[in-house]
Amino acid sequence: MTTRAPYSTVLLLAVVLALAGGCTSKKNASVASGAAEAVYVAPGEYDEFYAFMSGGFSGQMSVYGLPSGRLFRVIPVFSQDPEKGWGYTEETVPMLNTSHGFIPWDDAHHPELSQTDGIPDGRWIFINGNNTPRLARIDLTTFRTAEILELPNSAGNHASPFTTMNTEYVVAGTRFSIPMFDKQDVPIASYKENFKGTLSFVKIDPASGGMSIAFQILMPGFDYDLAHAGKDNSHGWMFFSCYNSEKANSMLEVEASQNDKDYIAAINWKKAEEYLAQGKAKEMPARYAHNTYSDKTHSATSVMLDKVKVLNPADCPGMVYLIPAPKSPHGCDVDPTGEFIVAGGKLAAVIPVFSFSKLRKAIEEKAFDGEIDGLPVMKYDAVIAGEVQKPGLGPLHTEFDGEGNAYTSMFVSSEIVKWSLKDFTVLDRVPTYYSIGHLMIPGGDSKKPWGKYVVALNKITKDRYLPTGPELTQSAQLYDITGDRMKLLSDFPTIGEPHYAQAIPASIIRDKSVRFFPITENRHPYVSMGEQDTRVERKGNEVHVWMTTIRSHFKPDMIEGVKVGDVVFFHVTNLEQDWDVPHGFAIKGAATSELLIMPGETCTARWTPLQAGVFPMYCSDFCSALHQEMQGYVRVSPAGSSVKLTSNGLKQQN
Amino acid sequence: MKHGLFLIALCISALTGISACGNSEEKEEGEEAATPAVYGKIKEVQIDPTVNPEMAKKGEKIFGVICKACHKYDERYVGPALGAVTKRRTPVYIMNMILDTETMIQKDDTARCLLQVYLTKMPNTNVNETDARNVLEHLRDIGQSR
Repeated sequence: MTTRAPYSTVLLLAVVLALAGGCTSKKNASVASGAAEAVYVAPGEYDEFYAFMSGGFSGQMSVYGLPSGRLFRVIPVFSQDPEKGWGYTEETVPMLNTSHGFIPWDDAHHPELSQTDGIPDGRWIFINGNNTPRLARIDLTTFRTAEILELPNSAGNHASPFTTMNTEYVVAGTRFSIPMFDKQDVPIASYKENFKGTLSFVKIDPASGGMSIAFQILMPGFDYDLAHAGKDNSHGWMFFSCYNSEKANSMLEVEASQNDKDYIAAINWKKAEEYLAQGKAKEMPARYAHNTYSDKTHSATSVMLDKVKVLNPADCPGMVYLIPAPKSPHGCDVDPTGEFIVAGGKLAAVIPVFSFSKLRKAIEEKAFDGEIDGLPVMKYDAVIAGEVQKPGLGPLHTEFDGEGNAYTSMFVSSEIVKWSLKDFTVLDRVPTYYSIGHLMIPGGDSKKPWGKYVVALNKITKDRYLPTGPELTQSAQLYDITGDRMKLLSDFPTIGEPHYAQAIPASIIRDKSVRFFPITENRHPYVSMGEQDTRVERKGNEVHVWMTTIRSHFKPDMIEGVKVGDVVFFHVTNLEQDWDVPHGFAIKGAATSELLIMPGETCTARWTPLQAGVFPMYCSDFCSALHQEMQGYVRVSPAGSSVKLTSNGLKQQN
Repeated sequence: MKHGLFLIALCISALTGISACGNSEEKEEGEEAATPAVYGKIKEVQIDPTVNPEMAKKGEKIFGVICKACHKYDERYVGPALGAVTKRRTPVYIMNMILDTETMIQKDDTARCLLQVYLTKMPNTNVNETDARNVLEHLRDIGQSR
């Protein structure tokens, strides 16, 4: 990254390419000179940033390096992933449990890093499941999903999972309002009467990261879209954008775009805490799953919870205010100082910038413009700091560079607009290819952005890549923002649909990566502590196999006495104690996935053979020169057969 | 596959001219190990003439979890039999094979030659020095009767 000599070849190549074809030079007219050098990370060198991108409708999260745009890992979160056994192994199936049963898919939208003093700290990253409302926490020492919490009284967990300055709370606002509590089976047309929204405040345990719903705030029947927390002076407040203040229940594209203004809901959560302490919350019956994964037992547990505390703003004056914001706001972004709240009204002609100090003053002076469902509506003029005029079409989402500038994505006009927080004037604009949704600056929604790059997360790629049939790749674009003008550096493909993303300097996370799990600390109920523990046991029609892997053999590797009608559980412990030596386990006819067992870990495959015969099993992840020798056999006999259960010729132990 | 790999190993040994391997294997049977150059990170091991039974017991447990998957006491398995290893290798060699495996396989003549015989590289076990020392004590203990 720092030496210059090796780049000459790359630069030469770039020049040759630029000169070579009229078609490439036309499309790349906006690529800055030196772009190849800026994104080139030499073989064996590391990227400067980790970027975490939502996997959209893949339900997962992807990990990229910046500036290279290289994909390192797809972290399975809400969807099954056969590559890693996620949601297939006995240990991980409970992670996808919900009050609706086992749900193998979701739509993941917004990653959000945990923060300390308003700065991303690299401990955890949260992401929301939009469809069957859930919230996940990923541990950034293992890059694995450690916890998933379902959200009751929610439908479409979209305004989530934005964090407060010290990760006191991660929030979850429902996109869809729904009928709830004791009145759920109602006509859809009774929307205005019966449908409500909730904003959940999920408490994060500062030591373990454990999630629990502290309280939900009952809200008018709007759609809740995005959120961001206050910082410093505005710490203690959370701001949610909402649309459909028309409370339409059909043809929202027309019916929910009638009002000139929708709202930013400003929530004083410190006040909410006071009301909670005073016992103002009602404990309501609910049903929602809480799933946790342990790196000690290497297993997940799912617990069904049955109540939740709900605060009604009618009982809690001073807790919720509505700020009018033009035309169906999407982004709801707080600048690094905590003073400005920027709303991205996707149908609006301006970008409104609200002032927190003006909001405080207006609340004191009761500068209200009526109320909705008992909630005071602020006077627009009393809280507005300024409007960015003629920013472009379809302002969606804003991030900050920490140098006094804001960057707003413009969906309709496909561009990023840079503007000044001093006078709200437009400073620069650059096209994106095409239809940018969110954008992301490393730390760009925090108190301390690392304002070197902005990443455009585009909705359409059209002609940017080689075609791959009707479905084209998803795409991000990297821009240099260190100078006065933004410079396009590169395009790179992404998975799912990239909604939001986060990035953090690699140095904060890199050295904390777990390399393997100490085998002596493995508390899995079916661990084999060395080959001497391996065995087979029958319990009725269940056969349990205690198996180990090490380069390059399974123990046992010959199992006989399994019968048609049996369910076989292979509990495979990887005895390796070195980095980058997972073993795989696959068996013919398995209706699940492979196992991919990390060093020191135990994973379990469930296998139900349907016919008699001899079935091979093998290691599916290349492990050594003798990987191809890492194999074994299981003999399955007809039901009622008298073949004794043995492993490598030894009879079962009990 | 196995034949192929064996042939490759033969070729490598022929090409690199490591003819000393045969000799060194012979040496291990009878003679007291000479003091070879020390390549691993352990340069010295304190050894008491009598085996410490407590350490040996701890070492046996670690041996069972970590080592036994590839080593038996009295017969070849994935790696060499280790029941009498203390009779043919120095404590420093044994400690380094456990604690600094990669360096040993790359640089130590004996370890390099053994790889040509067994073909599977001994993996890093990431045991700590105390556990490795206890394993050595266990190997000294069982070596007494062999």
